[in-house]
Amino acid sequence: MAEAAADLRQAPGPAKPAAPTLAAVPAASAAAPASPTPPPQPTPAPQANGGGSFIVVRDRFTLYCDRPIPSLDMPNALAYEVADRKQEGRPLYALVCKPEMPARISVMRTLKGLEIPAVLHMVDWGVAEWPPVDRKCVIVIYHRPMGGRVMDSMAGSFKRVPDHQFARAIIKPIADGLVELSLKGIAHRAIRPDNLYYMDEQRTKIVLGDCVTSVPAHHQPVVLETIESGMALPSGRGAGSYPEDMYAFGASVLMLAIGRNPMQGVADAEITKRKIQVGSYAALVGDERMPVALIECLRGLLTDDTEQRWQATNIDLWLNGKRLTPIQAKAESQAQRPLRFADQEFHSIRPLSYAMYQNWEKAIQIINDGTLEVWIRRGHEINDLADGIAMAIKSTYAMSGNKNDADDVIVSRVLMLLDPKAPIRFRDFRCYIEGFGGSLAIATLRKQKLQVFSDFINRELWRHWIAAQGGKVHADNQQFEGVFRDLKNYLKDPNSGAGVERCVYELNEWLPCLSPLIESQYVMEVKGVLLALDSMSKNANTKLWPVDRHIAAFLRARYAKGTGAQIDSMNDPRPDRATIGMLSVLAIVQWRLGPAALYGLSGWVGGLMGPVINSYQNRNKRKDLEKEIPKLVRKGNLAELYNYLDNPEERQCDAEGFAWAKAEYAAAEKMVYDFEHGQVDRQESAIKLGRQTGTVAATLIMFVTFLIVLMGKLL
Amino acid sequence: MKKRSTAFLYVMLAIPIGLMIIPTVIVLAVALVPTGVAFIMERGKGYYGGLTVGAMNLAGASPYLADLWTQGHTVQVALGVITNVFAWLVFYGAAMFGWAIYSTTPAAVSAFMTMTAGHRITGMRAQQRELVQKWGPDVESVYEPEGAKAAAQAAAAQMNAEPTAPGAKRAA
Repeated sequence: MAEAAADLRQAPGPAKPAAPTLAAVPAASAAAPASPTPPPQPTPAPQANGGGSFIVVRDRFTLYCDRPIPSLDMPNALAYEVADRKQEGRPLYALVCKPEMPARISVMRTLKGLEIPAVLHMVDWGVAEWPPVDRKCVIVIYHRPMGGRVMDSMAGSFKRVPDHQFARAIIKPIADGLVELSLKGIAHRAIRPDNLYYMDEQRTKIVLGDCVTSVPAHHQPVVLETIESGMALPSGRGAGSYPEDMYAFGASVLMLAIGRNPMQGVADAEITKRKIQVGSYAALVGDERMPVALIECLRGLLTDDTEQRWQATNIDLWLNGKRLTPIQAKAESQAQRPLRFADQEFHSIRPLSYAMYQNWEKAIQIINDGTLEVWIRRGHEINDLADGIAMAIKSTYAMSGNKNDADDVIVSRVLMLLDPKAPIRFRDFRCYIEGFGGSLAIATLRKQKLQVFSDFINRELWRHWIAAQGGKVHADNQQFEGVFRDLKNYLKDPNSGAGVERCVYELNEWLPCLSPLIESQYVMEVKGVLLALDSMSKNANTKLWPVDRHIAAFLRARYAKGTGAQIDSMNDPRPDRATIGMLSVLAIVQWRLGPAALYGLSGWVGGLMGPVINSYQNRNKRKDLEKEIPKLVRKGNLAELYNYLDNPEERQCDAEGFAWAKAEYAAAEKMVYDFEHGQVDRQESAIKLGRQTGTVAATLIMFVTFLIVLMGKLL
Repeated sequence: MKKRSTAFLYVMLAIPIGLMIIPTVIVLAVALVPTGVAFIMERGKGYYGGLTVGAMNLAGASPYLADLWTQGHTVQVALGVITNVFAWLVFYGAAMFGWAIYSTTPAAVSAFMTMTAGHRITGMRAQQRELVQKWGPDVESVYEPEGAKAAAQAAAAQMNAEPTAPGAKRAA
């Protein structure tokens, strides 16, 4: 269960300096000193007579807000002391995630309680109110590594691990741990020397650190990422897989063997360029002297061909003394005649592709003037690729009206064809389709402009990238094709429940609702939305609707079957239908998922029912509604309020009554008109009626006279 | 053909009956002259005038007819009646009274109707006010008779169809 009960109380202990806020504390890797630091000392339990504050997570873990552990901070999470109420003295610590980045909730759900060798044991996790930032945050509780970090920061140096310890103390356990993670469908994606810890104070047992407090590989330096992953934006690298973990593991082992980051101070672009030119192993080792025993293993782990990269079985064989066939890097096609571009000469395609990305504006020239196509056709004799480039140019110009836009798309498409393994690159934006969701989520959380994401979807860069993979189309890619097609439709739809907000939630299963109304409540599940709105109703602007674009998109993405029709109704242009639609969205969620009473939210929604009340024509009915709504609001049941306001029989009765009243008014109006304007007609009818009256009167007189005369004669 | 045979049948029946009641026919022939005149005068306007004058005419003739039928139904008595000036006065006075009824009742009824229409308009306006109070101003509508609407539309169409150049005088 995602939501955890949390209490906030005054801790019984001595007053301590206030804990820094999440935003104010820099990332651990940036702030940590370069020199080795002693392992963090366990702090005493809270005193019985103090004034510090604490929260209780899951009714079990006491988390002290004023006892940070900076040495265990993560780039996207701050570390704090924790006490286990059930097992006192158990060494634990908590990582409180910063809200600017989504955490890997699905991985948390899998890892919770699991004891995987050589992986930091996650004891529990939950969402709780975090007083320093006055909002709810994800809190992850780990076993505390008593020996501290292996390497305090990527920038620093440290006492290198002795060669004889490598094989059994580091490589074997961590490789086994990665296999176990892989079997559970998890890629760690945060394997780096500053995220390795010694579990014991003697510093003998190394474990992989946290991997759930940020999106996969976001904080991985380019040096530790594969060539392709390193080209992507940190947020757009995607979840990755076991081979990427093995690569990062190999690069980390290399640094542990050297005692420092051999690429420290080298720009990311330069690192990637060197890796492309000479291969990852050679680029990372450079002039360093590597322990002879590790060379084979490192070559295997750092090979750039994913299929040839070492796995745990290779490591086992290597540890058992079996000499494996040295891996030969596939030679890239070399043209005899170089292509001159951006003051450099290129003989092979991949380095040229990277240079074209770095010189985006110049790249279009060699594409449009045919230089690139001719070079590939004649220099490399790869006619399929040359044809593909020609086709990409033609089709893009044919489909796009704006030349500048078309140029960007052409460069992007050509780069995909030249280097299909690379991420999708579109000017400054570069990501894998798998990492697009995470990248979009981070941009949304940071309130950044989302135009580039819309362009990515609308210009179908994803489709071109999948097509560029040729025969190597992965099943996931086909699935992504369907997903992105849906996203394109959402972007076209301007209504609530669609748009870029919908895209964010569709692509990120556990992303909390980002509505400004409830963002601080960290709502990840549909049933939490109403509770969050209810609790926020005291401070919210009750003139605004409680269902904004984010909440509508969140509900539509997470609970489409239950709320689809209601959200459609909410988008009705008629204010009364839209208002009742909004009420129906909330009512159906409460009816199906609870809770039974929502007093604050009912009051908020009840105050917005003006258009619904006014939609009834009968004034008496309106007065009745105005009297009855407060009574229903006090019950806190939105479904009841909805049923009362949108009773079909009442509506029909009102409509029929109104139609009758309108007809009656019109009839009266006609009669009045006739009376006021029909003088001639009335005169005619008066004459006719008068003559008839005279005739009848005369006839009566005649009969009476006859009767009297005859009676007189006969009697 | 059928009409003519029916009329012939009526005549063939009327002649023997007429011969049987000749004294009555003589008196009525003299007495009902105003009725005949009234029917002729009001021809094409309905028979209300003739019927009203006729009814009063008959009422005036009724005492003399009763005398005729009770004192011996003879031509001699009939001649006595029609030679009586006073009888003529009664016949024609009653007919005149009938004509007076026929002439004055329309005016009286019209006056009555005008008086009641004011009350009805007030009542209907009150009813409309109640409807507006109960159902809101949306129930309101303005009545426009078909003729007036058509005339207004025709006028508008004419205005649109004949634009005048700036400075030019519109044709009457």
